[in-house]
Amino acid sequence: MIRVEDLSVRFGDTQVLHDVSFEVAAGESFALVGESGSGKSTILKALAGQVPVAGGSLALGDAAGAMTAKARARQVQMVFQDPYGSLHPRRTIDDTLSEPLLIHGLPDRDTRVLAMLDAVGLPRRFRFRLPHQLSGGQRQRVAIARALMLDPPVLLLDEPTSALDVSVQAEILNLLKSLREEKGLTFLLVTHDLPVVSFLCDRLAILKAGRIVEMAGVEALRAGQFASPYGRELFDRTVHG
Amino acid sequence: MSLLSVRNLRVTFPTDHGPVDVVRGLSFDLGRERLGIVGESGSGKSMTGRAVMGLVPKPGRVTADELTFDGQDLRGLSEEAMRGLRGPAMSMVLQDPRFSLNPVIRIGDQIEEAMAVHGRLGKRDRRARMLDALSAVRITDPERVARLYPHEVSGGMGQRVMIAMMVVLEPALMIADEPTSALDVSVRGQVLDILADLVDRRGMGLMLISHDLNMVARWCDRILVMYHGEVVEELAAGALMEAQHPYTRGLVASLPKIDETRDRLPVLDRSRL
Repeated sequence: MIRVEDLSVRFGDTQVLHDVSFEVAAGESFALVGESGSGKSTILKALAGQVPVAGGSLALGDAAGAMTAKARARQVQMVFQDPYGSLHPRRTIDDTLSEPLLIHGLPDRDTRVLAMLDAVGLPRRFRFRLPHQLSGGQRQRVAIARALMLDPPVLLLDEPTSALDVSVQAEILNLLKSLREEKGLTFLLVTHDLPVVSFLCDRLAILKAGRIVEMAGVEALRAGQFASPYGRELFDRTVHG
Repeated sequence: MSLLSVRNLRVTFPTDHGPVDVVRGLSFDLGRERLGIVGESGSGKSMTGRAVMGLVPKPGRVTADELTFDGQDLRGLSEEAMRGLRGPAMSMVLQDPRFSLNPVIRIGDQIEEAMAVHGRLGKRDRRARMLDALSAVRITDPERVARLYPHEVSGGMGQRVMIAMMVVLEPALMIADEPTSALDVSVRGQVLDILADLVDRRGMGLMLISHDLNMVARWCDRILVMYHGEVVEELAAGALMEAQHPYTRGLVASLPKIDETRDRLPVLDRSRL
């Protein structure tokens, strides 16, 4: 569902990704972990078409090769870290959820918006509210709903719960897991939080300075058995502070 | 005698629907130790720290039956007297160094300024102390870092600079409000280490305010768990797993574990609290 081969990204003279390759099967949930500056979010941005690719190839969803922005939007959508910054403050929830349908000329907007509110566990009475009238967790539900409006097979999740309170994080993680099971979604999750990976993902890649240093199954994470020294270092820091 | 005694602390804000208490009758004592205050957004943990510092923004009101710092009653102290205490006697480290350092002043000059405002030291002594403070927060080349501007250092180093700025004045009480949540996991431990070291060696009292249960449980001697402006539970360090209150237990249970195998995470049932 996602194939990344020898991906390189440069910002000016600085190369931020060096020959990154990995594949994610349909319905799989894959995590990219690493410190700030390791390039994990840049991979998501490259897949979302937000940064120019300097080398290598990307394939996404059902289509192969180059895609128009509009076609890409049907294949992949992103959920961002900060639900306070990722929703238009002066548009109602209804506006936010209807916009992708309008752009893509899809019918039955009314039914689809209501069905999506139900799917992400938001009461229907929130439909005409503005983002500031919602809590952080409710806003993140709206962001997830917006990402799913066009029924993309792939969701890119950039630290989707790290701005949320612990108890709200649990609700959103449960929601993501249910949605993935119901709709057969493919997840690519960026996080620095290994326990979240343990809950939500099947496999992970550990990044350091723009390179993948290790790929492992979630069993290796749960058992604390990473092969690379850097992987073990990350694990130790999480477990022992 | 404890460094800080708080009895029945209340912080009240007026709203359209009448006054709302964001801190509701909080009492605790702090010695020369590490006290953790944990809670979620809106629990009143930050307002507690600000109330002690005399930094509750208007129109908020602070009342208490007792608010004693180092034998001195803080209630009704003039703004000028509070300003004399803030810095040399009690200090606060905030969440994000990018917003709490002045972007157009060199790091060394900012630290010296803190001493100049409160100090009796000459220029040369101030400089020596500034370099000492940077070394104390484990900056290996203080001479070079002192010449840098805040945007030229990483988040972790910025936070250490913030701590250095507090340390030069040698306060007895340090209030750290989410000191590591803007930092990368890899440098969090380092910043906490430095804080812990300062408490142990200089005999400071530390109030660590955070939403991160595990971190607080690992780093503090005692933990107060706050919910809705009240302390619902007090725990000894390492006793997080023995928590009794349903709120604390709910929070602990809802955290994913590194060897997570539960299919769904239990969600806090707020209606039953």
